[in-house]
Amino acid sequence: MQQTFNRSKSVFRYAFLIVFSLMMVFPLIWMILSSLKTTEEIFAVPITLFPETLQWGNFSGALEMAPFWLYMFNSAFTSICIVILQVVLSSMIAYALTQLKFKGKSLLFNSILITYMLPAAATYVPSYILLSKMGLLDSLTGIVVSNVASVFTIFLLRQAFMQVPKEMIEAARSEGANDFAVLTKVMIPMCKSTIFIAGLIGFVSMYNNYLWPSLIVKSEDKYLITVGLNRFFTNVGSFADTWPFIMAANVLTVVPLLLLFVLLNKWFIKGISDSGLKG
Amino acid sequence: MDRLKGYGKILFFVGIPLVPLLAFWFIPMFVSLWLSTTDWDYISPEFNHVMLENYQTILTSGNFYAALKNTAFFSVMTVIPTIIFGLVFAALLKKVMKGSTLFKSLLFSPWITPMVAMSIVWTWIFQPDVGLLNQILGWFHLPQPSWLTDSNTAMWAIIIVTIWKNAGWAMLFYADALSKIPNELYEVGKMEGTSWWQNSKYITIPLVSPTTLFLVIISLIDAIQAYDQIQVMTQGGPAGSTRTLLYLYYQMAFEQFNMGQATALSTIIVILTGVLAFLLFYTSKKWVHY
Repeated sequence: MQQTFNRSKSVFRYAFLIVFSLMMVFPLIWMILSSLKTTEEIFAVPITLFPETLQWGNFSGALEMAPFWLYMFNSAFTSICIVILQVVLSSMIAYALTQLKFKGKSLLFNSILITYMLPAAATYVPSYILLSKMGLLDSLTGIVVSNVASVFTIFLLRQAFMQVPKEMIEAARSEGANDFAVLTKVMIPMCKSTIFIAGLIGFVSMYNNYLWPSLIVKSEDKYLITVGLNRFFTNVGSFADTWPFIMAANVLTVVPLLLLFVLLNKWFIKGISDSGLKG
Repeated sequence: MDRLKGYGKILFFVGIPLVPLLAFWFIPMFVSLWLSTTDWDYISPEFNHVMLENYQTILTSGNFYAALKNTAFFSVMTVIPTIIFGLVFAALLKKVMKGSTLFKSLLFSPWITPMVAMSIVWTWIFQPDVGLLNQILGWFHLPQPSWLTDSNTAMWAIIIVTIWKNAGWAMLFYADALSKIPNELYEVGKMEGTSWWQNSKYITIPLVSPTTLFLVIISLIDAIQAYDQIQVMTQGGPAGSTRTLLYLYYQMAFEQFNMGQATALSTIIVILTGVLAFLLFYTSKKWVHY
């Protein structure tokens, strides 16, 4: 009796999970299916789920209408530069916060803590003015430079550096290692996985970033993928026959991230639940 | 000599990373505060100090209160469901033996995708005549609203997209918290014959309350800063029904170049966020069990 009760409970559990999972994934599936339909199929009432023949031409069509490869390259390139600089700078300051003694250390840490809680938008107007004074508006350099300070990465690395056993650091010091060597030979190798996770989350959030880059880049050859995609959507979205191309452009934008997620999903899942600064 | 070396060391490890942090975070916060007392229009080199006039203008304008109301509605209606769905997903996953990693990945996958791209897909799903959602509603003979073009439903559409994107993210934190609850607690409950509801009320919900606090604060800050989905799907319309405070700020600063009022509004947003976070921390002593 108890057993059948348990079994029916677990059937319910699976049923719910399958329904919820389908609901969450369906917009992605719908996007992919729509990108392979003809205009007639996409507008069909009642709905047709699958395209009659797969319209791969939609992709070449979209790529002819706007240089999406270039946009994606711009996004990937700036995101990688930003992530590398974020990790380097954050590991330096995280090292100082955990291993060095200096005046104003707690002030510095508290300022970073407060910054983490405040809306980034409050910095946009002055940062915009600063970039324009530096002559970096409408440039990829401007996007990189203005994003290299990551409060989130500093937190994550500080947390990880605190977990490194003191004995290891002291052992390295007694062998004559200076601070730079301790950071590069002990801290960073010991915290490889956290650094990888910080880089991964940093990359995804920079690739997906829209508001700030959309303010900075104005000429088409510097568009990031999010900016270019939305510009494409507002330019052609009012014409009914362009919807298959819009969907194809969406697929091009999303698929690299989905592939990254399929390859590294354990890292994402573990990394994000560990990144919650408990309490 | 040693002291000099010490300074050099600090200058290296703190000084270098501090440059971008100061330039793009700390100093802008203060510059923004200062700009909020001017009437600068971004283009002309001259401006006047108007003291608190910008704040006065904002706090007496109907646009501000409409946006404040929209922000409050959007925040409450996204934060609470995101957290409930997150907890439900995590609770369902907890006792699943097979395929839990697969389900977890599927439920989480929306978080990875760019909001801009998915907002375009959702715009398509929300199309009144041919969109997927209204066709499904039609099968069940439910009302088919015009979603993004109707000022009564546009905000709901934005809310649905936001919950869809974030629920899986909340689930990950709850999954972690649930895995740390000792099974013995439920065993005791079983012996006493407690119901599912009693288990949730007296064991699960209190024990995950620190995670709930964390998620409420982070998702609230996120909700106040929501922009991408609004920009793609409605641009604040129709009739200002999806214009949040942040969107109003964007329009003031980068469409009208009214830098004085925009920065004053950003100061108000910062204060609002700070007060809310403080209140949550403060009242959390009553409902968070460590």
